[in-house]
Amino acid sequence: MKSNLNPHTDHGAIDPILGDEGELIPSSGFLAATMERVRDEAAVPKPIPFPWLRALPGIVVVVAIIGWCGCELARVGLANAREISFTQLHLTAATGRALEPAGWVAAALAVSLLSWLFAQRLAGRSGLL
Amino acid sequence: MPAAMSAEEDLADVNRVLAGEVQAFEGVVRRWQGPLVNMAWRYCRDRGRAEEMAQEAFLRAWRGLAGWRRESSFSTWLFALAANVFRSELLRFPAVNVPLEDAAEPTGPATQHEGLARKQSDDAVRGAVLALPTRYREPVVLYYFHEMDVAAASRTMGLPEGTVKARLARGRELLRKRFPHLSEQSAPLLSSTLRPEKEVLE
Repeated sequence: MKSNLNPHTDHGAIDPILGDEGELIPSSGFLAATMERVRDEAAVPKPIPFPWLRALPGIVVVVAIIGWCGCELARVGLANAREISFTQLHLTAATGRALEPAGWVAAALAVSLLSWLFAQRLAGRSGLL
Repeated sequence: MPAAMSAEEDLADVNRVLAGEVQAFEGVVRRWQGPLVNMAWRYCRDRGRAEEMAQEAFLRAWRGLAGWRRESSFSTWLFALAANVFRSELLRFPAVNVPLEDAAEPTGPATQHEGLARKQSDDAVRGAVLALPTRYREPVVLYYFHEMDVAAASRTMGLPEGTVKARLARGRELLRKRFPHLSEQSAPLLSSTLRPEKEVLE
């Protein structure tokens, strides 16, 4: 690194310390190791480019379908939104009673799932699966 | 040093590489390995890591050689690319450093072995550069790497010179606050011939 400092840029003790650090010599194997990595990189075949031209019709169709679905959802949603009134959000006692069996249905489904998992485990141990 | 490097040789090697001659890149590595390893060293102060980071920078340069638009010199492009690589490498795995206020206090000048004490003191200041906040650390690192050339440092960082000067001044100020003896030593110098540049940089 630089040894003779410019007096016009000298900022006291900082410049000689940070400006004149001496030079680090790269290790003897640095060049060879770097070139080996470069050669390895060069030897790797270039990735096959994505066939955009072939995929384009499919992409257009998918985008069109998603767009159409979005428009339909918005149209139906807006139409229904007009019918919704905030008073409907308050659950009446009758509605609450109607939802009660839903808990039992959920519990029954959970029991079914557990018994299915238990059966799977047993079958697995018996060597059937 | 970078300025003495042959731009023609760089250009010729780059053209050969782009024409498919992989081996021509060896010339580029041979000419720039010293500067890039030294630059990386100033970023992390770890020799092994500096070589790894420099190697990564060469690899990125190899991959992006076609992206050198030749508006700037090859060295400017390479240093800017290397600075980006070193910056992101240090974001992923920061250099082991301590907060600036915890940086080792330099040994006093009254020590018996004055040479050793001086070296320890200098090393403490150099180590403290790594403890500077990132926005001030990089201008300090690159300014001294580029032999105190603000324009070269700003090109490498891709920032306006004014911004680099301001950050450099703030970085120096933080170092002086941490190591007051630097201000004491600099006082006689600052009062004599250094007015013009000092005003620009501070």
